[in-house]
Amino acid sequence: MIDQKTLAYINLYAVLGTLENLCELVPEASAMLTNAKPISIGFEVKDGPSATITFNNGKCRMEQGVSKCDVKLPFSSCEKFNGLIDGTVTPIPSKGFQHIKFLLKTFTPLTDLLSKYMRPDPKDLKNKDFFEKSTTLMFYTIAVAISQIANNDKIGQFSADHIVNGEIGFSIKNGPAATIRAKDGRLITIKQASENPRAAMEFASIELARDLFDGNINAVACIGTGAITMKGMISMIDNLNRLLDRVALYLA
Amino acid sequence: MSFEINNYTKSREMFDRAAKVIPSGVYGHLGPAEGCFIPVSAFPLFGDRAQGSYFWDVDGNKFIDYMCAYGPNVLGYNDPDVDAAAMEQAKICNCTTSPSTKMIEFAELLVDTVNCADWAFFAKNGGDVTTAAIMTARAATHRKKIVFVNGFYHGVAPWTQKVDYPGVIEEDVANNIYIPWNDVSAFENAIAENDGEIAAFIATPYMHGNFLDNELPADGYWQKIRELCTKNGIVLIIDDVRAGFRLDLAGSDHYYGFDADLICFCKALANGWNVSALCGKDFLKGAISGLSYTGSYWLSAVPFAAGIACINKMKQLNTPALFREKGLKLTNGLKAAAANNGLNLVVSGEPALFYLRLADDDSLMMHQEWVAEMVKRGIFVTSHHNHFMNASLTDEDIAHTVEVAEEAFSVVRKNHPELG
Repeated sequence: MIDQKTLAYINLYAVLGTLENLCELVPEASAMLTNAKPISIGFEVKDGPSATITFNNGKCRMEQGVSKCDVKLPFSSCEKFNGLIDGTVTPIPSKGFQHIKFLLKTFTPLTDLLSKYMRPDPKDLKNKDFFEKSTTLMFYTIAVAISQIANNDKIGQFSADHIVNGEIGFSIKNGPAATIRAKDGRLITIKQASENPRAAMEFASIELARDLFDGNINAVACIGTGAITMKGMISMIDNLNRLLDRVALYLA
Repeated sequence: MSFEINNYTKSREMFDRAAKVIPSGVYGHLGPAEGCFIPVSAFPLFGDRAQGSYFWDVDGNKFIDYMCAYGPNVLGYNDPDVDAAAMEQAKICNCTTSPSTKMIEFAELLVDTVNCADWAFFAKNGGDVTTAAIMTARAATHRKKIVFVNGFYHGVAPWTQKVDYPGVIEEDVANNIYIPWNDVSAFENAIAENDGEIAAFIATPYMHGNFLDNELPADGYWQKIRELCTKNGIVLIIDDVRAGFRLDLAGSDHYYGFDADLICFCKALANGWNVSALCGKDFLKGAISGLSYTGSYWLSAVPFAAGIACINKMKQLNTPALFREKGLKLTNGLKAAAANNGLNLVVSGEPALFYLRLADDDSLMMHQEWVAEMVKRGIFVTSHHNHFMNASLTDEDIAHTVEVAEEAFSVVRKNHPELG
């Protein structure tokens, strides 16, 4: 069962957080921001997450909290915020009405572009460059969603409680890498490779990662073929896989 | 001396063939995922034949097998006495409408052998009898909650799994209470917080969980647990599926100086012939008699004949003493080989079921590298699980294992210049 609060954390930090990577990877995204003045948008969800996305010189960066934002979008509940991501809720700023043009003319097209890569048309995936970028963006979204599920979802917390302290390297060979850092049953995702992992799981290729993300193949089966390699504290990987199972539930 | 490195070409071919028609190619603990084949290229994937302490894979590589099929191989693969008894019974009858009296003989032998046993109930796998034990406890007490010790493994039935496992729902494990090993106070607290609701306490005789150094019971631990169970009407279940008959033929509860109410056996019971047994005290005989719990092959006579021969031979050889002696000889040799290479091999658990861990990093990666070097040279050990001794293991096998270990440790050492 999906928990709306967990979904809100995923939607903010994992889904909207991937705008950072979109702007790095997709020139069309950074071009939308190149001539715009620096601006920051704060998302404040009652009884849920809050974060500010700052757009500056073709790049974007997410930070927790809304203390320094030009535009503030408040949401009265996690369900309302999740409605924004579904496209069923239109937010009304509580601060920064003068920047409404940015919201409508830049931010919305940017999130549409993100959707294009995150929920791709099968035809687009036949283009190798699009395929690689789309899969890379999915990788970062999933990597961040793992930690949000671990910290918020009831069953995810059970899995996280069984992960010993340390870093898990999570990567695609010759592709993107992330670090899942565990401390006392809480996880945080860092979007760069771990220098000192206590456990590691790597997908042999970006194509394989895509098939896994799309649910076409199973991780356990891939270990036997060598398409997924794992090493180190396998109990950490075991529990990471249980969290990955739940990512599929939330991001389906 | 340099040992030959195995080639696994046919194993890989067979695995690819298997993966087309069998989920995961080889699923479960014998497969590359749960079996922690790290890296998978270092391990055989299919066996061809076995004898004594050895098995040969489909590429013809020979292994000294310290996993013993994860326990069933207790006397040596294809033990002539056990197999002869099984074959003899096969000529008479096996799976029949009216069960063979071999069942009575086997039950009588278990009651005579196992200290706490007044009766024996048969099934096939360890999980069949741990489930039977839980159902018996619930039937007898009319209570629903079960106390587990963290790091437990009691089979694969939904009640033994965790809430986040695929295919398990919250309701399957809603009555499970988890406490730490060797923690009497935690059990006292659980009893206080669930007054009159706890049906059973289930645990292995010592903590032989995976990925962790194995821990023996603290002095007086089991006696205090026994006392609390008796005082509070809680059924004390010992899951002796893994350790049973390797520490003490009278049961591992007897070895640690207490009496279980129910005790579960499987692995070492019949040297690989498929049978498991739940033994228990008289006061629970009525409760288990009332269970609706059976299986098509549970009363087959061939494994009973094998079990009788196996237990009698274990008694004749005094296998627990043998396993302790050989287990110590082997693990002392391995520790010395590690030390010769400037590495620290930690050995834990009982010598008959020793657990190994290279303690020179905290990730097990170095240990996994050593295990891979061992397996590639024909010594089958694992990085995540305790090992098993069997009675056919010779001093020459142990000496050869230690020689290979020296080379494997030296490879690891060379690959880690950072160790200085």
